[in-house]
Amino acid sequence: MEAAPSRPGNERKTVLEAHDIHAYYGKSHILHGVSLRLGEGEIVTVLGRNGAGKTTTMRSLMGLTTVREGRVQMLGHDVTRWPAYKIARLGVGYVPEGRKIFGNLTVLENLVVPEARSGPWTLDRVFKLFPRLGERKAQLGRQLSGGEQEMLSIARPLLLNPRIMLLDEPSQGLAPLIVQEVMQVVRSMRDEGLSVLLVEQNVPLSLAIADRAYILDDGKVVYSGTAAELGANHELVEKLAGATAH
Amino acid sequence: MQLLLFNAFNGLIQGVFYALMALGLALILSLNSVINMAHGGFLVIGAYLAYTLAPYLGFWGALVVGPIGAAVIGLFVERILIRPLYKRPDPLYTLLLTFGLALIIEDLTRTIWGAQGLPFQVPAALNSPISSVLFFITGYRLLVVGITMAVMLGLYFLLRYSRLGIRIRAGTLDLETVSALGVNIYLLRALNFGLGCLLAGLAGVLAAGILGLTPPMGSSLIMPSFVAIIVGGVGSLVGSILGGLLIGVAAGITTTYYPAASEAVIYLIMLIVLVIRPRGLLGQEGLFE
Ligand SMILES: Nc1ncnc2c1ncn2[C@@H]1O[C@H](COP(=O)(O)OP(=O)(O)OP(=O)(O)O)[C@@H](O)[C@H]1O
Ligand SMILES: [Mg+2]
Repeated sequence: MEAAPSRPGNERKTVLEAHDIHAYYGKSHILHGVSLRLGEGEIVTVLGRNGAGKTTTMRSLMGLTTVREGRVQMLGHDVTRWPAYKIARLGVGYVPEGRKIFGNLTVLENLVVPEARSGPWTLDRVFKLFPRLGERKAQLGRQLSGGEQEMLSIARPLLLNPRIMLLDEPSQGLAPLIVQEVMQVVRSMRDEGLSVLLVEQNVPLSLAIADRAYILDDGKVVYSGTAAELGANHELVEKLAGATAH
Repeated sequence: MQLLLFNAFNGLIQGVFYALMALGLALILSLNSVINMAHGGFLVIGAYLAYTLAPYLGFWGALVVGPIGAAVIGLFVERILIRPLYKRPDPLYTLLLTFGLALIIEDLTRTIWGAQGLPFQVPAALNSPISSVLFFITGYRLLVVGITMAVMLGLYFLLRYSRLGIRIRAGTLDLETVSALGVNIYLLRALNFGLGCLLAGLAGVLAAGILGLTPPMGSSLIMPSFVAIIVGGVGSLVGSILGGLLIGVAAGITTTYYPAASEAVIYLIMLIVLVIRPRGLLGQEGLFE
């Protein structure tokens, strides 16, 4: 196998691959052939300006938005046009943009919704990782702070014992200290062998923990490379991701 | 005074049927996003099934099997007719579909059992009044209230504490996120639809014992049941129950003083509620608020 040293992801087993996917909202063509790949145990970040198509890409991977053309493969299955619940049951966790906590349900009830699969992640273990959720398990989701909601939004799919995690802007609207905490959780998921696809607006932070990066613009991949390469190229980051890397 | 009590109690019984119907309608509306115009049809199915099976199963057996039959037919209808329409966001499709279905069920009933009213025999012991003053309170009517309360309590515990119920509540808030968490939402919606039809079927059997059976019995109960939801507040199951009881009792009381207005008063209450409190008595986002 030829290994390109500048692309460490290529040596790993592929757990997720999108080939040239196209997606639409009604008649408007949003994704114009996005291809990307996630290796086992990798953190790959997807960057891009507002409206670039990051969320649409994640939704298409998860089966929430129809992939009209192209293919999606995950964990050895062609999951193109599978319903979301079947993709989730394969071992794919999804943390949606805006957290999507069930506001009228308690924290504990939020954690009962996922179709738990057997594995190391149990309710007890989730409460150990996020003690504040344990303390507030009888409170309603909408009474939680933004940071606590983010923790809950990450905790829910962990109970699926996923092998892949798709996170859509987990740091959105959180105080810097909480953001650090969230990133620490992402890192520890990877250390446990999960593969993570991370959409972020916070470019410096995501480049700091990612192995590789893609930049989306107008529904197309306009850059892919290692996070280190991209982190060194401030101009490129500023131009394509609409953010500075320092 | 006795007449007032008599009519109020009659109204309460009527309100119990509205409440049972409204509960099922509200469940189906909030999770399946279907305005189920055929809900009265499932009431009719429950009632006529019970009538047909009573000679073999006895009253009590029919009381159980009638609603279950309505639920099973509901599951078929959901799977075959309604499920293909979920991907169309416009509720008009299912509204028209279920409206047509309501007409078909009513006509089928007329074809199979005839247009004339049929009596539904309840055990004689249940038919005698509990006292001569309160002559209108029979054992059967108490049974109707008791069974309805038990079923509502059961539904409350199901939705509050069971995994299925928690997922139904989560689904009414955000079905997409529920599916992304690995829950088979096709199954979830089917079970919820069946549950709603079970409640309609139960209302049918219970009502048959008091009102008898006629093919249009479902269509005459469905409009007040929609009113009950609007009065109680869309999205609130407790509100639907309250709304049903309220309009039932109000219609009953009106009968005492001005019988001609007993139906109009239902819509008058809706109008007043909509003007004073547009979201209904308990209407908020989500169930059990
Ligand atoms: N439900 C929708 N209906 C129609 N157009 C949509 C819808 N959701 C998103 N879009 C459009 O699709 C494009 C891509 O949106 P998307 O949400 O994928 O971008 P994004 O990269 O996630 O942006 P952000 O950083 O703001 O979250 C945008 O032009 C947006 O306006
Ligand atoms: Mg987005």
